[in-house]
Amino acid sequence: MKKIGVFICHCGSNIAGTVDIDKVNEEINKYPGVVYAEDYVYMCSDPGQKLVENTIREKKLDSVVVACCSPTLHEVTFRTTCELAGLNPYQCEIANIREQCSWVHEDKKKASEKAIKIIKTIIEKVNQNESLKPISIPITRRALVIGGGIAGIQVSLDIANAGYEVLLVEKNPSIGGHMIQLSETYPTLDCSQCILTPKMVEVSRHSKIRLLTYSEVQEVTGYVGNFNVKVLKKPRYVIEDKCTLCNKCVDVCPIATASEYDRNLAARKAIYLPFPQAIPATYTIDAEKCPGFLPIACGKCAEVCEPKAIDFDMQPEIIEEKVGAIVVATGYDLYSVKNLPEYGGGKLEDVMDGLQFERLLSATGPTGGEIRRLSDNKVPKRVIFVSCVGSRDTEKHLPYCSKICCMYVAKHAMLYKHKVPDGEAIIFYIDVRAGGKGYEEFVTRAQKEDEVIYIRGKVSKIFRDNGKIVVMGADTLIGKQIEVECDMVVLSTAMVPNKDIKDLLSKLKIAADEYGFLSEAHPKLRPVESISAGFFVAGAAQAPKDIPEAVAQASGAASKVTDLFSSTELKHEPVVACVNEDICSGCGICIPLCPYGARELEIVDERRIAKVNDVLCEGCGCCIAACPTGATGQFNFMDRQVYNMINAALTVREDERTNGKIK
Amino acid sequence: MKVFLNGLKVIKGEVFIMKDRCKGCGFCVTCCPMDVLEVSKKFNVNGYHFPVVKNPDDCINCGLCEILCPDFAIWSVLKEERQVVEV
Repeated sequence: MKKIGVFICHCGSNIAGTVDIDKVNEEINKYPGVVYAEDYVYMCSDPGQKLVENTIREKKLDSVVVACCSPTLHEVTFRTTCELAGLNPYQCEIANIREQCSWVHEDKKKASEKAIKIIKTIIEKVNQNESLKPISIPITRRALVIGGGIAGIQVSLDIANAGYEVLLVEKNPSIGGHMIQLSETYPTLDCSQCILTPKMVEVSRHSKIRLLTYSEVQEVTGYVGNFNVKVLKKPRYVIEDKCTLCNKCVDVCPIATASEYDRNLAARKAIYLPFPQAIPATYTIDAEKCPGFLPIACGKCAEVCEPKAIDFDMQPEIIEEKVGAIVVATGYDLYSVKNLPEYGGGKLEDVMDGLQFERLLSATGPTGGEIRRLSDNKVPKRVIFVSCVGSRDTEKHLPYCSKICCMYVAKHAMLYKHKVPDGEAIIFYIDVRAGGKGYEEFVTRAQKEDEVIYIRGKVSKIFRDNGKIVVMGADTLIGKQIEVECDMVVLSTAMVPNKDIKDLLSKLKIAADEYGFLSEAHPKLRPVESISAGFFVAGAAQAPKDIPEAVAQASGAASKVTDLFSSTELKHEPVVACVNEDICSGCGICIPLCPYGARELEIVDERRIAKVNDVLCEGCGCCIAACPTGATGQFNFMDRQVYNMINAALTVREDERTNGKIK
Repeated sequence: MKVFLNGLKVIKGEVFIMKDRCKGCGFCVTCCPMDVLEVSKKFNVNGYHFPVVKNPDDCINCGLCEILCPDFAIWSVLKEERQVVEV
C-alpha cells in the first residue's frame, strides 16, 4: 500500500456549508493507506498549496488526493504543487466534492457521507496510479488564419511580426471584410478605409504572410501543433502577376450584376475589382455570371487584355499545408431584412440595412457619399433609424443584443445631419447602450450638437403610403402609439455569424453556441481560445463586437498562438490507451470506433496487434469499452483500479447495515 | 433590382431571324449564353419550329447564334451602349 495524503478543502462555505468537514476528515484518516489527512479553508490559496507541498516532503507521501472542486479548475494547480515537492504529478488526483456533492445537495448528513465515498474511490484509484511522463510532440510553427477582415488581418500581422509564418485564407476576392465597407468609424469619425488599407497593404507585403484570397478551407486533419490543412483556391481566371489594372476588360464586359461590396446598391461587371483598394489588386471573373466559359460565346475581356492576363482555362487548386495553430476569424453577416415582413421584408424601396447606409455615406460608395434615395434619386429630408431590428426579440427573432447598433445608429444619424443639415434624423430605440471609451459622449454629441431626435419605443410596422414611408411604433415616454412619415428608413439589423460558419465548423470540429457564434474555452478567463486545443477565435465570429474589441481580441489570439509556438515541443497528456499485446486478438474493432484515428493494426511476429498512437489518443476510452478481449486499458484507469473504486463506492458501513437502512 | 448609376455601361445587341431559312436544329436556342431565344410554337414555310426572341433585353451581341447557325438564318447587331440601371 502507498502512503497517501488527503487534503480536504472547505472552499469557504461552498463545501463546508453542506459537508461536515470534521467528520469527513475523521473518516478518511481511518481509511487504509491514508497516512495523513488535513483540511483547510482554501486549499488552492498559497498557504493551502504550501501545506500540500510541505506535507509531501515531511511525510514522504507516495500519492496525494485533494478533495475540492472540479478537476477542470484545479487539477493542474495541485499537480504542479506535487511536482514542486518532487512527486510525480500523476500521483495526484482530485476528488470532486463541490460540483458533484456540496453544490447539488442540501442534507448535510447525506452530503457528508457522499463526500466520504467520493474521496474513498479516489484514494483507491490513486493507490494504483502509475508515475507517468507527458508525451512530447513536435510542433509546426506556422499558423492558419481563416478570414481576412480586420480581426484576421490583425492576428496575421501580430503573429507574422513575432517571426512566425502565417497562412491567411479569405473566401472573397479581396481581404478587408466588412470594415472596408464602412464610411466612418465611431467614436472618432475617422475614415474606415484610411485606417484599414495600410494594414491590408502590410499583409500583402509581409514576407511571413502567405495570402490566399478567393480560397476556402476544405479539410483539416491532425491535432494541436500538427494540423494538415487543405485549402481550395478557386480560379479567378486572371493571372495576378500579369494584370496591370488598366480596366479595359471591365469596359467591354457585357454582363452587369449587383455589387456585393456596395450591398446591391450599385452594379459591377462579371469581371471586376471588388473596390479600388482591393488586395490583391487584380480582377476576378465571376464564373456564375460570365458567358465566356461557353466556347467562343464571349471573350471580349481576353481580346482587349494587352498583358494577356486572362486565362479561361485556369483550374481550381488545392493547397496542402502543415500548421500548428488555427485562428478562426470569420466575422459576421447581417440578419436578413427578408426575415422581417413587418418591416417590408426587403421589398420596400428606400428601406435599407445599416451596411447599405454605410455605402451611401461612403465617399467610395455608389453615390460618392451623397445621401440619395434609390427610388427617385432625391435627397431624403427625414430619415428614421430603427435600432434593435431582429436583436433583443425573444419572441420572433434573436434574443441577444447585437451590441454595436446603438453606436452606429448615432453615427449614421450624425453623419446624415452633416451631409443634409436641413434634414431630420429620428432614432427609434429601446435602450441606448453606449458602454465604451468615449461612447456615451458620442451619443450625447449626436443628441445635443447634431439635434438627432431620439424616440424611445419599438417599431411595429413600416409601410408605404402615398409615396411616403410610414413608420408605426410606440413612444413609451409619452405612452402613445405614433406614426411618423419619412423619406428613408435605416434598419439596424442584428449581427449573425457568417453564413458559411456551419460548414466550416463541421470541417474544424470546434464548438459554437446555439446561434453559431464560436464558443470560447472560458467566457472570462480564456476568451480567445476554443475548447479544442490548437484553435483560437477572434473578432465577431465569437460574438457581436465592434472594431476596437475585434482588434483587441485578435491581438489576444495572436499572443496565445505565439505563446504556443514559443516552445519547441508540446506536452500531451499521458493518460492514453494502452494495449496488452499478449492478449490482443487483432480483431480491429477498436479501429473504426476511435474518433481520433489513433488506433492502427500492425503485424508483430506474424500476429496482428492493434497499436495505439499515443500522440493522437485523447484518452476518451471508446476502444477500451469495445475491446472484446480486455487487452486495451488506459493508464491510471486500469480495470483493477476501476473495480476498486466501485467497491469503495458501494461498501456499506457496519452501523448503516445494523440500523436496517440497507439490506 | 434597381441600382444607382455609377457610369457602368453595357453593350446591348439585337437579334434578327429569317424564319423561313431555319430548319429547326435548335443550336441557337440551346447555346445562347444569355437565354435570349426560345423555340416558337409556330411553323415556318418548310414546317419547322423556328426560334423567336424571348428576352430581347438580355442580348449582349456575342454573336454565338450567328456563328453556330448552319443556315445563316440568325444574326445579331449592336443596338446600343446603355447605362446600367437594373441588375
